[in-house]
Parts: sequence; C-alpha cells; structure tokens
Amino acid sequence: MPWWAAGLLLGLVQILAIALVKPMGVSKQFVVVDTKVLNRIAPEYSENHPLLNDDQYTKFGYGGWFNIGIILGACLAALHLRAWKVRTVSAWWRRNHDAPVLLRLIAGFCGGVLLLLGARLAYGCITGQFIGGWTQLSLSAIPFTITLFGFGMLVAYLVYPKKPNRFSQEE
Amino acid sequence: MSNPIVGLIMGVIFGASLVLTGLTNPDKIIGALRLKDFYAIRTVAVFLLVGMLGTWILDLFGTAHFDIKPAVILPVLIGGALLGTGLGLTGFGPATGLASAASGRIDAVITVIGMIFGAHVYILIYPSIVMPLERIFNFGSVTLPQITGASAAFWVVPIFAAGSLVLLITRSREPRDDEQRIKAGDFGMNEEFPDRLSPKPIPIEKGLYLKSDCLKAACVFRRWKNLLFIVMLLCLLLNQASFWLVSTGQVEITENPNIAAPAKGSHNPLLFGYNVTFEHLTTVLSITNIILVFTSMLYGFIMYFSLGVSFKGRLGGLAHICGALYMALIIFVLLVPWQKFFGAIALGATFTPDELVSWCTTDISDTFGLVLFYLRFTGYWALILLLLLLAQLRSFRWARVILR
Repeated sequence: MPWWAAGLLLGLVQILAIALVKPMGVSKQFVVVDTKVLNRIAPEYSENHPLLNDDQYTKFGYGGWFNIGIILGACLAALHLRAWKVRTVSAWWRRNHDAPVLLRLIAGFCGGVLLLLGARLAYGCITGQFIGGWTQLSLSAIPFTITLFGFGMLVAYLVYPKKPNRFSQEE
Repeated sequence: MSNPIVGLIMGVIFGASLVLTGLTNPDKIIGALRLKDFYAIRTVAVFLLVGMLGTWILDLFGTAHFDIKPAVILPVLIGGALLGTGLGLTGFGPATGLASAASGRIDAVITVIGMIFGAHVYILIYPSIVMPLERIFNFGSVTLPQITGASAAFWVVPIFAAGSLVLLITRSREPRDDEQRIKAGDFGMNEEFPDRLSPKPIPIEKGLYLKSDCLKAACVFRRWKNLLFIVMLLCLLLNQASFWLVSTGQVEITENPNIAAPAKGSHNPLLFGYNVTFEHLTTVLSITNIILVFTSMLYGFIMYFSLGVSFKGRLGGLAHICGALYMALIIFVLLVPWQKFFGAIALGATFTPDELVSWCTTDISDTFGLVLFYLRFTGYWALILLLLLLAQLRSFRWARVILR
C-alpha cells in the first residue's frame, strides 16, 4: 500500500473513532487487566490504592473490546494477506545481532515493560497521546513528541547501528 | 456509542488497517527511527494530518468527541522518554505490538506480556512516584487553541504546513520507475512511427516529411503564442496600474457615471497630458478583462495544439509543452470572473470596476482586512503573472528543444 493511501486509511479510522466515541487509545486497557487481577488476588492491597478503585480502570468496556478487536482485525488482515507466519526476529535485529532468538525475546520483554510504563506515565501511547494528541491539538502532545522521538532515535541508533541490505523485503 | 460492539468493530478496523498499512512490521519502525526508510514517517504524517483536519471539521460541526489528556509536563516527558526507549528497542508501539502479536510474531507476543508487566509496575509506583509528579507543572486538560486563545485554524494551518514539509523532505530520492526506464533508453517503441489510425507504421521518408511539416506548424504556433503572451502581459499591467491609481486615491471614484467628472483643477493625474478620470479606467478595465479572458483561452488552445503537433511529428520537448499547457489552463481558470456567476464564493483574478469601487469605498481599518484587500487585487494578480511567466518559460524551452 502506498504511503499516502496508508495514512489516509488510518486517518479516516481516527476520524470515525472521534465522530463515534473518542480518539483511539490502547494502553489504558493493560492497566485494566492488571487491576482486575490485583483486585482478585490482593484485595487488601487494592483497597486503598487510588488507581485500583478508579472507575475507569475497573470497568472492562469499550476500550477492552477495542483491544480485542485490534487482535482480531490484525489476525484476519494477516490471514487475508497470507502474511500470517511465525517469526521471532526482524531483519534489522538479524543484521545487527546475528540471530540470537533469546536475546531478541528478552529485549522484547524489557521493551514491552518500558512501553507500557511510559505510555501510562504519559497518559497515552503512540496512538493515544502522539496521534490523538496532535489530532486534538492538545498541549501534552508537544513534550511527548520531543522525548518520544529523541529517545526513540537515540536508542534505535545504539541498538541497531547497521542497516540491513534488504530490510524492506522482510514482510 | 461507547458500547462493547462499537469498540470491537472499531478495534477490528484499526487492527486490520495497521496490518494492511505495514506499520506492524518492526523493520519499518526501526528504519524510520534510523532515518533509513521513510515509509512509516510519511504514513504517520498523513495519518496525523488527515486526523487533525477531520477532527477540526467535525469540531466545526460540533460532532467531535474529544478526550484531551492532561498536560502534566514531567510525567509526559518521562513517559515519552520511556516509550521512546521501548520503541527503539523493540520496534513495536503498544498498538502495533498487539497487532504484530496477532499476525504471528513471537517477539511481539513477548512484548505484549512485557506490557502487562509494565502496567503492573505502573500500578505499583503510582501512589509513591506518579502522584507527587502529577501535582507539579500540571496545566490540566488543555488544547493549544485554548491556551493561546487563538482559533483552531491558527494551529491547524502551521501544523499542516510543517507536516507537508516533512513529507517534502522525506520524499523518495530515487527516480521513479518511468524515469529510470527513460534513462536506460527503454522507451518501448522502435524507430518507425507507429500510428494508431493505420495498422502499418509510417515509413521513415514519410515520417521525415511529416516532421518538417510539423516543425513549420510549430513555428507558426510559437509566433502566435508570443504575441498572445505580450498582449496578456500588457493587459495585466494595465489592470494592475488602474487598481493602484484608484486604491492610492490618485483617481477619484465617481460613483455615478452620470455625474460630471470633478471640475478642472482636481487632483486627477495627467498622463501624457491626458486627464485620467475614473470613467476612463472603467472602460480600460472592461476592455482588458475581456481581452484577458479570451487571450488566455487562446493561449491554452495554442499550447494544446503545439503539444499535438510536437507529439505527432515526434519533435520532442513534450514535457515542457505539457507543463506550459497545464499552467495556461490554470491561468484561464483563474482569470475567468467567477464572482459574476457564483457571488463571493469563487473569485476570479479579473475584477470589474464595480468590485473595485465597492472594495475601495469600504473603510478598512484592521490589518486582516488590509491584507485581504491587497491579496485579492495584487496578490492574485502576481500569482497570474508568475504563472504566465512560468508558462512562457516552459514553452520557450519547448521551442528551443524542437528548433535546435
């Protein structure tokens, strides 16, 4: 798909979301899942916790189904494109770190922890805070964009210094 | 509308579009962060701009559902840094991580598990670390238009310009497919002249005869084109001169042409010993307007015929004449006085004397009105002049190519 068509498609999805419900957001629902678990297994801890009793974190509603929909839609689209394939490493990773799968998985786990911790600290992930912030012209998008791309580019430079030869032909 | 079914449907649409657009591929994200592969940057830029414009329009109609995040500077800065680190490490964002995991990437599955742990860490540190941070530098849920007191358009336009600049900077430097083929000399045609009307190709001798004939025709067209260009240029200059004479008050506006011109000794300028009144300007404007519209039409036609001749005769210079044709057409479209037909919705570059009077007699005090006034009369005119010069330049190059 050419870049302009891709961007147009995603933009129209965002417009639809704003017209119907609210800007798209993904990361909050991970906290909801953890809240559910914590409320079940450690009720005495969650009793006085400010987050665990908050209504928006205890209710599994629109946002949760939105995330399930993402999984479902991505799966269907990948099957439709015949791109559903079990993969563990990306081309950039293989070029820079040969192919130790375990290291990639560990990096993926650490990255995941950082991703969601950062996303919740910033009140939204890339979809919610960067895209949603700019589409609504909110003030919080400016500092977020600066550090997101500053650190993203720095870390990507440190972790992936070498460019693969055919990086675009992976998928 | 925030019921689970709408959520599920929106999620399916979003997840499917993420996979279809290829943003779930971590190589694309890393390539974008390393500034080696601009696909993701361009896609996200269009995503953002389209979303912003659409939201703005929805907001004008009052049907947008906003969800402004609080602008708490410190957590947002730290969160952006952590999120950027995770993004640079894995190549997944939270949304694309979920979608990648669903399309069979084991590392993305691990990342999603990591994200659940990340949410746990967030819950654990929230009372002790995040809550104190939220109390300082908290601007609340504000938008840029709210905090600056300007309208949303004031922000939408510059952001749109910045996004377009990003798209312009990151455009592909490699020549496109057809350009590469031309460079390689693969035009997909042979020496003989293929003709759509006759099944047999035209033989070489006949082709040469056709070519010289077409050259002569091109010379005729060129002469007419240059003549029309000079006429249009003169008319444009006259138009603009009359505007300046009126707007600077050199020529007094006489509202009713029946009233006699001001008595002798008024400050109407003397040009070549000739007393210029507004009536004269009215005549000049009407004539130049008619001439401008018709000559621009003829100019476009001549460009079109030149294109046809140089195409048929294989004279070359097609790219130049195509550009010139396009600009001539734009000039024609812009010159037609659309305001006559559609009111103030569509403005043509030509202005009638009545319009000039109504613009000049209304008292303009604010800067915006003044800028609009000069944009409408001088800016629009300058645009036409620029386009005309460019068209003439392009067609001059065409002539140089075919007559070398």
